[in-house]
Amino acid sequence: MTSPAPPDQAGNSDQVIADDLIKRFGAFVAVDHVSFRIARGEVMGFLGPNGAGKSTIIRILCGLLRASGGRASVAGIDVSRDPEGVRQRIGYMSQKFSLYRDLTVEENLRFFGGIYGVPRAELGARMRFAIDMAGLGGRERALVATLAGGWQQRLALGCAVLHRPPILFLDEPTSGVEPASRRRFWDLIHSLASDGVTVLVSTHYMDEAEYCHRAALINHGRLIAIGSPAQLKQTALGGELLLVECDAPGATLAALQDAPGVRDCSVFGDALHVLVGDAGKSLAELPEFLAAKGLRPRRMARIAPSLEDVFVQLIAADAASRREAA
Amino acid sequence: MKIRRLKAIAVKEILQIWRDPRSLMIALLMPFTQMFLLGYGVTLDLKHIPVCTFDREASQNSQALLKHFEASSYFAIVRNVRTYPALTAAIDRADCKIAIVIPPDFSERLNDSGSSSVQAILDATDDNTANIAFGYALAVVSGYAAEVALDALSRQGHQFQQIQPMTVQSRVWFNEDLESRNFIIPGVVAVIMALIGAQLTSLTISREWERGTMELLISTPVKPSEVMIGKLGPYLVLGWIDAAFCLMLAALWFEVPFRGTILTLFVTTTLFLIVVLGIGYLLSVLIRSQIGASQIALLLTMLPTTLLSGYVFPIDQMPMAIQDITYLVYSRYYVTIIKAIFLKGADIPALAAPILFLLVYATAVMVLAARAFRKSLD
Amino acid sequence: MFGRITNMLIKEFIQLWRDKWGRFRLIAPPVIQLLLFGYAATFEVYHVPTAVLDLDRTQESRELVARFTSSNRLNIVRRAQTQDEIDAVIDRSDAAVALVIHAGFANLLRKGETAPLQVLVDGTNSNTALIALGYINTIAARFSQDYAADLAQRTLGIRGMTELIQVTIEQRPWYNPDFNGRWFFVPGVIATITLVMVVNLTAFAVVREREVGTLEQIMVSPIRPAEFILGKTVPFFVVGMGIAGLVTIVGILWFQIPFVGNPLVFVFGTMIYLLSLLALGLLISTVCATQQQAFATNFFVVNPLFTLSGFSFPISSMPDVLQWLTYINPLRYFLVVIRGTFLKGIGVGILWPDLLAMAAIAAVLLAISILRFRKSLE
Repeated sequence: MTSPAPPDQAGNSDQVIADDLIKRFGAFVAVDHVSFRIARGEVMGFLGPNGAGKSTIIRILCGLLRASGGRASVAGIDVSRDPEGVRQRIGYMSQKFSLYRDLTVEENLRFFGGIYGVPRAELGARMRFAIDMAGLGGRERALVATLAGGWQQRLALGCAVLHRPPILFLDEPTSGVEPASRRRFWDLIHSLASDGVTVLVSTHYMDEAEYCHRAALINHGRLIAIGSPAQLKQTALGGELLLVECDAPGATLAALQDAPGVRDCSVFGDALHVLVGDAGKSLAELPEFLAAKGLRPRRMARIAPSLEDVFVQLIAADAASRREAA
Repeated sequence: MKIRRLKAIAVKEILQIWRDPRSLMIALLMPFTQMFLLGYGVTLDLKHIPVCTFDREASQNSQALLKHFEASSYFAIVRNVRTYPALTAAIDRADCKIAIVIPPDFSERLNDSGSSSVQAILDATDDNTANIAFGYALAVVSGYAAEVALDALSRQGHQFQQIQPMTVQSRVWFNEDLESRNFIIPGVVAVIMALIGAQLTSLTISREWERGTMELLISTPVKPSEVMIGKLGPYLVLGWIDAAFCLMLAALWFEVPFRGTILTLFVTTTLFLIVVLGIGYLLSVLIRSQIGASQIALLLTMLPTTLLSGYVFPIDQMPMAIQDITYLVYSRYYVTIIKAIFLKGADIPALAAPILFLLVYATAVMVLAARAFRKSLD
Repeated sequence: MFGRITNMLIKEFIQLWRDKWGRFRLIAPPVIQLLLFGYAATFEVYHVPTAVLDLDRTQESRELVARFTSSNRLNIVRRAQTQDEIDAVIDRSDAAVALVIHAGFANLLRKGETAPLQVLVDGTNSNTALIALGYINTIAARFSQDYAADLAQRTLGIRGMTELIQVTIEQRPWYNPDFNGRWFFVPGVIATITLVMVVNLTAFAVVREREVGTLEQIMVSPIRPAEFILGKTVPFFVVGMGIAGLVTIVGILWFQIPFVGNPLVFVFGTMIYLLSLLALGLLISTVCATQQQAFATNFFVVNPLFTLSGFSFPISSMPDVLQWLTYINPLRYFLVVIRGTFLKGIGVGILWPDLLAMAAIAAVLLAISILRFRKSLE
């Protein structure tokens, strides 16, 4: 899956603006001075571990939570001053599945069509569009409770776009959905974006960042990195990446922590990813270093970092700096 | 307010009600079960009061006296004991509420001094029954005494027709027979309607919060007033159906005389339903967990409606502070209204006062509910 | 197995306790209800507004009226001059009861014939009036008795007889010598509040997990159905004891209800009562798929339980069918236990049938619940 086509820059004005957003729940700071902008037609991904604050930010943008500080503007409207104005212009998918399980596919669509005031003349066509998009043709009368996870999510997306909102907020729409369905979902997002819809998607699958125009990494309520996938891979990593396949990953990992030139080391699947300052140098030096400890990796090669590498590294770095600050 | 959005909410609610047949069935069955159970079970008439007899003399006289008790429809002799401990056990076990003890020298003293007495041991834990039972016992004994006196006098050659000088003849206003049922049933209708109303709407919003559908709904342009009216509409219809069931049962099955007009009944019932459904809705808005809403709903409906509405316990006999509190008990007004419509044929002008209270209540509740519905997660 | 149960218990307790509002809802409502209903529930009537019409105006009629005037049960608010006046007074609800003595009353008395006293009752204020009727009966019966004695006396005196037949009845109130209505109702209110709250809590317990979806997770774990049910109900047993204890203490201290029995017997009886309530709530929980259904079922079931229990309406006055129904009502038995231990001081020797009945109900309902629960998992 490749990156999406770049957004149409003509006539652009930032559709979503967050400016120094803060949200506190009692003493707990859920959103800590977050600022970003999303352009029209852009697909922005929010990544980060669970509890990082992604949902909170989205909810603030939707007007569902009041920010404790800072400003948020959606479609040019100040969210805190006119939350109702925002609501007509957005589509929302909440993290917890929010459609009516005891209603059928059709009934849910008709309901949201009515709520969003989709003109009656158009409603039939829009519903058709949503059903086709979700692949639910022939199952219009099925109760939503009987649909599998992937179908439910696609239907939820369909309900969110019935009224052609210019902006979409999707909170972890691919959670708990199997990989094929996830890909399909992202295809849908791209086709919407190519029609000019601005999309903010949050996910905890790091690899899905590749599907976005830009991605923002949120950790502990703070935005610790933002940029296009290419930018992130280039600048954020702070080194070059080696792949090490070995029979004793635990021991090898421990040994590599003290190896020269090694900045960081982590387990990836059944291999190790090692961050080094100079790949060439390390490829030459490390095998000896390990051999001296009686470890003989099967294979060592330089690899292009994935976004997952980037994020893991960034989060680790962030954790380290928080520990120092504390 | 957009009618389209309102309609969407109402249609959705109807579909959801339809898809929960069990709750729907309960809502529709309740009038019948409750009317039958309460209609027959609730009674202020004391009949067949369980009596225990302890005849320590066992003579013709004592037996004659006990026969009077047997003949009385107020009493039902459940036990004839032979020992004092047995009597104590009967009272303790609540087998009887009153025990008639005839002393061993009953006839002797009657013959000697012409006067004798029996004892009524009352289980006064149920003070009301005890009091009334004693009153009836007094009447029964008086009847016996008169008979004995008459007997004695006629044996001495005097003629008297009758020495039961006076009877209490109760004629109840608007009714020929003193059937307390006619007064209880209208109250029962009010109570059932209050309970059904609470049951229908108290969880409607909380449910959506718990299921997660509310979060999506409040991210849409829908207005709180649209949600409220859209949701209450279908329940109002259900309420009408239930009310119709209850009232028809009252008039046709229990044969409570109906002297009012259907119009008055409809208007006042609708008003009451709005209050009842509105309060349930308000609770549901304020409390986002279903179990929480249910507890408060129960607190505000089940016991207050049955104990503070005047349908059983007379309000004017309660301590003043409590009487003031009953002004808040909305079912109180409907109890008054229903009784007046059925038994007095009251029309809307005559019911101006309780109707006004209900009107104020309905308005307050609706306004509060619309205001309290905040379209935010915190 | 005990490890798993303990785990569940800890989880349940933490959930219960952590919720601040949940804590509040467990403590405040019972106490508030106890105070309200302890004061409101009463069948004692005093100062019932009464109107009197004496069309006879003889010594006898005046004497009868005097008897009513001097009773603190009635409050004579109007001495009417005409029937129309009486009609108006009742119509306006200025008086709840009207006593009418027609012309010719004394004549009938002197002739030894039955003389009627007419009692009119305001249908809409009927409860007060109906209760008052009992006292009116008693007053009338005493007048009747005294008049008979007097008449006989005078007659005998005229004819030179010395004998006078008189049979009287004396009352011996047991356990509640002052006929204090609170002593009867407050224990009943304690029992009822416990019923309503515990059944509600338990009914929601299992359903909640089913509806929110966590039930599946639990069922996938190695826990067995019986263990799960135990884990769910034991916390509510503790909470139930807490609630019952709380309202009992408040009842005793605030209302000064005497407690002459054995506290252990009471505690034991309460425990069995709670078990039966838990079993009932559990059964409701296992037959309902959503909390809304559990809520509706609550109203459906609890209201009749509360009404047909002997709490306020004597079981002996109900039709036979309903009396039989009360045999499966745990409240019926517990009322005997609580009133018995509070006011009569009776022990297990007398109470064992009631304790056994509650235990049996608990066992049967529990068994059905566990069976149903197992079935629903397949």
